[in-house]
Amino acid sequence: MTITLAVPSKGRLEELTREWFARHGLTITRPGGARSYLGAIEGMPDVTVRFFPASEIARELIRGTIDLGVTGRDLIHETSEAGPASVSFARDLEFGHADVVIAVPEAWIDVTHMHDLADVASDFRSRHGRWLRIATKYITITRQHFAKAGIAEYRIVESLGATEAAPASGVADIVVDITSTGSTLAANGLRVLEDGVMLKSEANLIVSRTADWSPARKALLDDLIGRLED
Amino acid sequence: MTNAAYRRSQLESLVEAQGGCRATPPLLLRADPYFDLAGEEFGRRLLLTTDLTGAEYCLRPDFTLPIVADYIEQGAGAPAAFSYLGPIFRQRDNGPAEFDQAGIELLAQPDGDIALDQVLTFARAALSLYGITPQVQLGGVGLFEALLAQADMPDAWRPRIRHRFGHTEAMDRLLTRLEQAPGLERSEQPARETLVEDVTARMVSAGLSLSDGRSPDEIADRFLEQQALDAAQVPAATLKLLRDYLAIKGDALSALKQVEALGEKHKLFLGVPLRAIRRHLDGLGEARVTFDASFSPRLDYYTGIVFEMRGQGGTVLASGGQYDRLLERLGATAPIAASGCALWVDRLEAEGVK
Repeated sequence: MTITLAVPSKGRLEELTREWFARHGLTITRPGGARSYLGAIEGMPDVTVRFFPASEIARELIRGTIDLGVTGRDLIHETSEAGPASVSFARDLEFGHADVVIAVPEAWIDVTHMHDLADVASDFRSRHGRWLRIATKYITITRQHFAKAGIAEYRIVESLGATEAAPASGVADIVVDITSTGSTLAANGLRVLEDGVMLKSEANLIVSRTADWSPARKALLDDLIGRLED
Repeated sequence: MTNAAYRRSQLESLVEAQGGCRATPPLLLRADPYFDLAGEEFGRRLLLTTDLTGAEYCLRPDFTLPIVADYIEQGAGAPAAFSYLGPIFRQRDNGPAEFDQAGIELLAQPDGDIALDQVLTFARAALSLYGITPQVQLGGVGLFEALLAQADMPDAWRPRIRHRFGHTEAMDRLLTRLEQAPGLERSEQPARETLVEDVTARMVSAGLSLSDGRSPDEIADRFLEQQALDAAQVPAATLKLLRDYLAIKGDALSALKQVEALGEKHKLFLGVPLRAIRRHLDGLGEARVTFDASFSPRLDYYTGIVFEMRGQGGTVLASGGQYDRLLERLGATAPIAASGCALWVDRLEAEGVK
């Protein structure tokens, strides 16, 4: 009987996650080094550690094939509309803070709020013969947020990198992007709407609700989470 | 023959008996027209795939669009009737993504009222095959547009309010904003040329195209219009009228009386759209009919009267109405009357078992 903890497999995220666990007295080991995808927690043989890319951790938590893991809150919301309902957020790891925001060209002096955007979107097609285009990698989050704001007249242009450059390159009119300081957006002549924060994200220790939680496995989980009290 | 199969064959006969053409559009359709017509909100329900060139296709998510697009391509104008029954594909929270829909489309009919009657009769007949006496909800798009056109307010606000009709939250937010609009002293307006220059400079420095998308003129004009809008407030009495109107909901006869009374109080001419709704009440027989002043699909091509029929559990079994602006949106060069409805066959079958 074991439970599976997924940890980001590389870079700063892996480092910070292991540091955070260490601060709480738990040492995550990765015996095979950076090329190995299997690890352990010292003194907790019932916990299997797996190293995954952060986006796969989100997907597998929602599916319930891993029991708990560390990933960004944004990825849970983006991976599936059912994402937030399929997991519970157990611990804010206090790093990776960033906001998913709506930003428009700084030159759009008439657009400061979502309701301005609703107006611009509503007659964009009759003025320009095409829909307002939004570049983003956050398709699910954007659709949900815009539906709530009552804006339906737009098209998403999927952007997997350098989203902030999309307006200047003519690919899109505005962007939905993740930012921690806003400086990249500002450097590209973009301004975040005053009510344009769609989601506040951070690295989080997340428990799958869809995994199979037998009483024995639940006890293992409670023990692990209990040790991670602040 | 089992009961279910018997009902299905009766539904088939009803669809065939609509006196029109039985439409069987392809299962695989270009996705772009759907995004163009209904935007991303509907787009997220599509089952998408791409061909070798990267062009996006979807599994048929509804019948109306391919039927109407084909009608326009054949040279729109002549009265036409189409009926359909077959599978459609949509991502849903519950239930499989493939399910059957049946319905009719009446295009360019000489009398829109008679066409809508035929649509309502068809929907009622289909529901009665399953032994269902539905709860019918009517909505008045034409009625709201008539009220909005006559209500006392600066013209610039009318399209902004119309745009939010059918989205209760967004409408409430806008009305609240208007109610709280501060009577701000406006600082002096900058000159238009100065604004255009300023916006142009900002766009150039950010590397934005001045011709594709929003131009400096458009931005400056909207900026000035917005300043003017903040100053040109919607009178409190009009906001109250809109609030009162949108809150009207209930048994159709008494709800329509309330609308009438509200119209008289504010000296509005609502007789024509009101009579149009009343005319259809008789045809609905013993079904319980309600009218909800705030009810409308969120697609701006609906006009006139819209309806939903619900079963006991409150699930929508049939929905439709008049959509005279649809054909123009799909490329017709002149306005063409259209009405129709769609039936959720899987829900009918589930409801019929009860």
